[in-house]
Amino acid sequence: MNTITAYKCKKCGLVMYPHHFRCLKCNGREFEEIKPSANGKLLTYTIIEQLPWGIDERERVLGVVEFDNGVKALGVIKAKDPKLGMKLKAGWEPVRVIGGEKVYGLSFQPTK
Amino acid sequence: MRPVVIAGVGMIPFERRDEDSLVDMLAMAGLKAMDDANLGDRPVDAVYVGNMASGLFNHQVSVASALVDRLSLMPAAADRIENGPASGGSAVKNGFLAVASGYCDIVLVVGGEKMREVIGPKATDIVACMTHPNAEYIYGVTLPALAGMFTRLYMEKYGVTREHLTLVAIKNQENGLLNPYAHIQMKITMEGVLTHPQAHVNSPVVADPIHLYDCCPVSDGAAAVLLTTEDIANELKRPIVTIAGVGQATDTHTLQERSDPTDLKAVTIASQKAFSMSGIKPKDIDVAELHDAFTILEIAESEHAGFFPKGQGANALAAGETQIGGKLPINPSGGLKARGHPVGATGVAQIVELVWQLRGEAGKRQVKGAVNGFSLNFGGFGNNVIAFVLRSKS
Repeated sequence: MNTITAYKCKKCGLVMYPHHFRCLKCNGREFEEIKPSANGKLLTYTIIEQLPWGIDERERVLGVVEFDNGVKALGVIKAKDPKLGMKLKAGWEPVRVIGGEKVYGLSFQPTK
Repeated sequence: MRPVVIAGVGMIPFERRDEDSLVDMLAMAGLKAMDDANLGDRPVDAVYVGNMASGLFNHQVSVASALVDRLSLMPAAADRIENGPASGGSAVKNGFLAVASGYCDIVLVVGGEKMREVIGPKATDIVACMTHPNAEYIYGVTLPALAGMFTRLYMEKYGVTREHLTLVAIKNQENGLLNPYAHIQMKITMEGVLTHPQAHVNSPVVADPIHLYDCCPVSDGAAAVLLTTEDIANELKRPIVTIAGVGQATDTHTLQERSDPTDLKAVTIASQKAFSMSGIKPKDIDVAELHDAFTILEIAESEHAGFFPKGQGANALAAGETQIGGKLPINPSGGLKARGHPVGATGVAQIVELVWQLRGEAGKRQVKGAVNGFSLNFGGFGNNVIAFVLRSKS
């Protein structure tokens, strides 16, 4: 499955997403590219009812997810009743159309 | 560094201003500050314009060059300073440095934004351009959405309630009624916002748990200050209000990379720097203008700036300590909530309000006997923050 690329500092092991040219902890410059694990938990979320120009939806839930391997990322939350700490499984799908092209990003479903 | 005096201030009412272009507004506010300083025909050495997004909102760039032309200030140096919602604060900081260093004697700083040229969702999108392009923007994140995620965590951690958030809105809109420059001139009640059967219509969800009355309005406006030396301010026969301290600090671009997203480190560090430079302590501040783009921010900033312990800001608010007449009046101007938030103007407008307060010229919203003032201009979602400590010498 396609997904984001996160970065693990080769010197101190800090996991970062998005990309930085220097490690946020030790200023190291070499990183191992890693993929987030399949599942994670919801750290915080919001239900947006006034979306920006370019997103033709009435409502969208966005949240920050911490994957089991420590990567943290924002994504679209596809849960009817989101709860802090809930377990989620990551997906990859079009999240926005920019300049006529579909842009892919993370989406999350509750794990059964 | 030599002391820097704010010898003149001016602003135009924040509102929807269809008739005025951005540069018109900058010029009107700039002229008011020049006149307030009794500047007459003295030359201005440099002009700094705080503006976030004239290219996107108004299809015009190089607005500082356009402004010196409109004000006939050539050959003054002119720069536009862009630092997101802290553009105004950054412009004042640069003006301060220019005078403090001795490079300039007289500097005009103007902040302004014309946002109502575009429709609401477009303005939301333009403002969202400050988020991370790949990790945030593509998902449709908005500034209210970042504030929503932050508010949820703050409520969980510190027991802040929707009543507390609404108290910020009620207080600041009441203060706004005393400020003829404020965009929103409307009293609101806890009932109308929270408990009335029509409350969800009055204050609909923007980005849960954030509702309409937790957000500042989208405004057009401009504000200006004229900075100079103490000697020149005395020659101009103006009251002496000095910039006693300036602090600026940054934090990660995205909220999710902060080890504790409820910890606004840049607010803490910028405030500490400003206090330390001024020799003035938080307990000595008589009046503060904080960046309440969202109601939660007034509470969180009042704690991170050092006025109240973490988790106590909401209690201080509920006890009335931050009202005009309270122990530390916060946002007597109405704040961003009522005065409005023409993005690049805000950091300058906060300082204009403090100068009026410290000179005793704030009319019905005057904080009695105010000598020391504090302002905090919050850029991004806390990733670039500027704090000022002002002191009246009278």
